Amino acid sequence: MNQTPVSCLPNSSKMSKAKRVLEEAKEIQNPEIDLIDRNISTFEELPGLFSMLNITRLTLSHNKIKCKYLNNSTSSYYCCISNNFSAVPPGLANLTNLEILNLANNHLEELPLSLSSMPKLRILNLSFNRLYGLPRGFGAFPILEVLDLTYNNLNEKNLPGNFFMIETLRALYMGDNDFEYIPADIKNLKNLQILVLRENDLIELPKEIGELTRLRELHIQGNRLTILPPEFGNLDMAGHKSVFKLEGNEWVTPIADQLKLGISHLLDYLKSETYRISYTRYQTNKPPIPPPCIDKAKKISRIR
Amino acid sequence: MFRNMFKSQLPQDRSPDIPDLKPLECSVLYKRRAESREHLTEEIGDYDDLSEFSDQTFEVANYQYVCPTPDVVNQTLERKTSIVKVKAEWSNQRLNGAMSFDKMICSRCSEGFEPHEKIVNSNGELWHQQCFVCAQCFRPFKDGVFYEFENRKYCEHDFHVLFAPCCGKCGEFVIGRVIKAMNANWHPECFRCEMCTSELADSGFIRNAGRALCHECNAKVKAVGLGKYVCHKCHGIIDDQPLKFRGEVYHPYHFNCTACGVELDSNAREVRSRPGFAANDMNELYCLRCHDKMGIPICGACRRPIEERVVTALGKHWHVEHFVCAKCEKPFFGHRHYEKKGLAYCETHYHQLFGNLCFVCNQVIAGDVFTALNKAWCVHHFACSICDQKMNQKTKFYECDLKPVCKKCYEKLPTELRRRLRRQHEATPKKYPPPTVA
Ligand SMILES: [Zn+2]
Ligand SMILES: [Zn+2]
Ligand SMILES: [Zn+2]
Ligand SMILES: [Zn+2]
Ligand SMILES: [Zn+2]
Ligand SMILES: [Zn+2]
Ligand SMILES: [Zn+2]
Ligand SMILES: [Zn+2]
Repeated sequence: MNQTPVSCLPNSSKMSKAKRVLEEAKEIQNPEIDLIDRNISTFEELPGLFSMLNITRLTLSHNKIKCKYLNNSTSSYYCCISNNFSAVPPGLANLTNLEILNLANNHLEELPLSLSSMPKLRILNLSFNRLYGLPRGFGAFPILEVLDLTYNNLNEKNLPGNFFMIETLRALYMGDNDFEYIPADIKNLKNLQILVLRENDLIELPKEIGELTRLRELHIQGNRLTILPPEFGNLDMAGHKSVFKLEGNEWVTPIADQLKLGISHLLDYLKSETYRISYTRYQTNKPPIPPPCIDKAKKISRIR
Repeated sequence: MFRNMFKSQLPQDRSPDIPDLKPLECSVLYKRRAESREHLTEEIGDYDDLSEFSDQTFEVANYQYVCPTPDVVNQTLERKTSIVKVKAEWSNQRLNGAMSFDKMICSRCSEGFEPHEKIVNSNGELWHQQCFVCAQCFRPFKDGVFYEFENRKYCEHDFHVLFAPCCGKCGEFVIGRVIKAMNANWHPECFRCEMCTSELADSGFIRNAGRALCHECNAKVKAVGLGKYVCHKCHGIIDDQPLKFRGEVYHPYHFNCTACGVELDSNAREVRSRPGFAANDMNELYCLRCHDKMGIPICGACRRPIEERVVTALGKHWHVEHFVCAKCEKPFFGHRHYEKKGLAYCETHYHQLFGNLCFVCNQVIAGDVFTALNKAWCVHHFACSICDQKMNQKTKFYECDLKPVCKKCYEKLPTELRRRLRRQHEATPKKYPPPTVA
C-alpha cells in the first residue's frame, strides 16, 4: 500500500493541471467538471472549486481522495498539515446547484455530514471506496435518486439510523459490501426500482422488500441466502422489463427447482399455500447458514 | 265460527271465608236485570226475586276487549266471570220463605234442588254442581274455567282440541285475543311486519304483494318501487333531492344549518367534525354558503368537498380516489404520477404515450433513445457509470450490476472483482446487446 506522506502543499504540476481544468470551466461557464484520474488526494488541490456555485456535475473518479477530517469547523478544516489526511470537506455542500457528484474509486473512508444537505443532489456515486460507515443523518438527502455504494465495507451495523429514509431513491447499489441482514426499514424506499445487493454476506432478506412495488431490478446473487419471504411473490419480477438475479445462493431445494424452470415459476411458487407452510416451517427449523462465499480480505476496499 | 265464544271463569267454592259483602248496587248484573225487568220470563223473575235478597253473593265482572285497528279483523271477546256462592243454610232459609224455590230447576237435568245443595249460577242459569260439567268429557271445570260455544260448555282442554284456532306462525292454539288477518289466525305477538318484524296487532298493517307490512316498511317498499327514498324522520317519500346525513336520508327541510340556522335544501353539506374518526355521529350539516366559508377544499374531479385526505396536484385539490391517470382512470393512491400538459398519468401510460425516462435525468426522452441493460438514456446522458464520460452506440462497454462501464474504467476495477464479474458472465450465457438507438 502506498503510504508515502503527501504534503498538504501539493506539488505544483498536479495543482496546475487540475487548476487549469477549473479555470477553463470558469471561463466557458461549464457547469460540468471532470477531474478524472488526476491523482488528486485533497480538495486543497482544487482551489476556488467551492465558489463555483453554478456547477451541476462534479466527477472526481479514479483519484485518491480520502476523508478523515478531524475538525468539522469550516475554514480551520484544512489544518491537516504534516499528516497525510485529506478529505471531502464540508465545503462541498456550498455547491448548492450540484446534481451529480461522482467520487467513484477514491480512498474515502468517511464522509462529512453536510453532504446530505445538498438541496439538488440527485446522483451520488461513492462506489469503489473504503467506506466503513456513513455519517449520522446521512439519510436526510432531500431529492437523492441514485446512490451508488458498490464495493465498500458497509454492513447493517455501520449504517446510520435514517439510511432507509431517502424516499426519493429510485436506485440503490450496494453490491460488494458486507451486509448479513437488511433492516425492515427498507420498505420506506417506496420509489425504489433498482436494488443491488450482489455479493454481500446476506443470510436473510426482510419480507418488507415485498412492499417495494416499483422494484424492477433486484440483484441478490452471490450471497448466503437459503429461503425467500413469501412476500417476494408480490414483486413484479416476471415482467419483460424486470430483472431478478438470484444465482450463487444456497437455495433450499424447492426454490432451486422452481428457479430452474424460470422466474415466473418461482414467483408463483412463493405465492402458493404450499410455500407459505414450508416457510413457516423454515422459520422454526432454519436451514443451515452457508459459509461466506467470497474471501473479503482480498477486497481493495479493506486497505487501511 | 267463533263469534259466540265466551271464556268464563268460575272460581272455586271458598265457602268458609266469604269476602265482605258489597251493596246490591255494585252488581252490574243486578242493574242490568233491574233495567229489563219487564222482559224477564217468570222463571227468571222468580230467580230475580231470590237475587234481590241474596245479591251480595253475586259478583259479576264483564270485560270487553275491542281492537279497533281498521286493518286487523279483531275478535270481539267477552269474558264473563260469574261466582255463585249460595250458602246452603242461608239459601234454605231464604228459599223456604220464598214462593219459588221449588220452581228452580237445573239447566241440564231439569230436576229441582235439595234445600242444602250448592247451586251453580252461570249467566242466570242454575245447575247442580254435578251437572255443571264439560259437554265433551263430563268432568267438572278445572279451576272453574270453561269455554262456551253454541250454548255448550267445554273445559279448556276440550275446547282447544275441538274449536280453538291455530296461529299461522307458531302453530299453537290461540287462546285469548285472536288476530284474524291475511286469511289466518295469529297470536297478537306472532303477527309481525315481514320486513322489520315489529308487532302489527295494535298498529295495523298493509297488505303488500302478499306480505303484511307495517306502514313504515310499506312506505319504503313503495318508495323503492318509485326509485325514491323514504325520509328517516317522517317516513314520507322524498320527491325532490334527499339530504344524506349520518348515513340516513331525509327531507332536507327537517334540518337547519349548524352555523346560520337557515332551513336546509339538498345542497347542504355534511361536515365531518372530528376528522379521522370512522363514526359519522359527530357530523354536522351546513348550508352551502356557510360551508364554502369554512374553506374546505373542493375536489377538482367531482366538485364536492374533501373531508379526508387531500391530494394537491396540477394546481387543484383532489379526493385520493379521484386523482386518476388521464389514460386508464385508475387512482394513483400515492404512487408517483407524471404530469404532461395539465394532465396526470400513471407510469405505464406516461411511458406508453410519451416514451422512456432517461436513467440519469429521469426525464422523458424527447429525441434519440439509447436502450441497453434494461434501461434507457437520452443522448446527453448515455455515459460510463463510473467516469460519466459520454458513450455512443459504437462505444464498447462492459456491464457491472446492469450499469455501463467504459473500457478504461473496467480496467481500473479491482482485479479480484473483474475475475468475479467474468465468472458471472460466463455462468450466465445471456449476452447484453450493444446499445440500440431508436
Ligand atoms: Zn302464535
Ligand atoms: Zn315493518
Ligand atoms: Zn321527512
Ligand atoms: Zn348556513
Ligand atoms: Zn372527488
Ligand atoms: Zn394509466
Ligand atoms: Zn438524460
Ligand atoms: Zn468510465
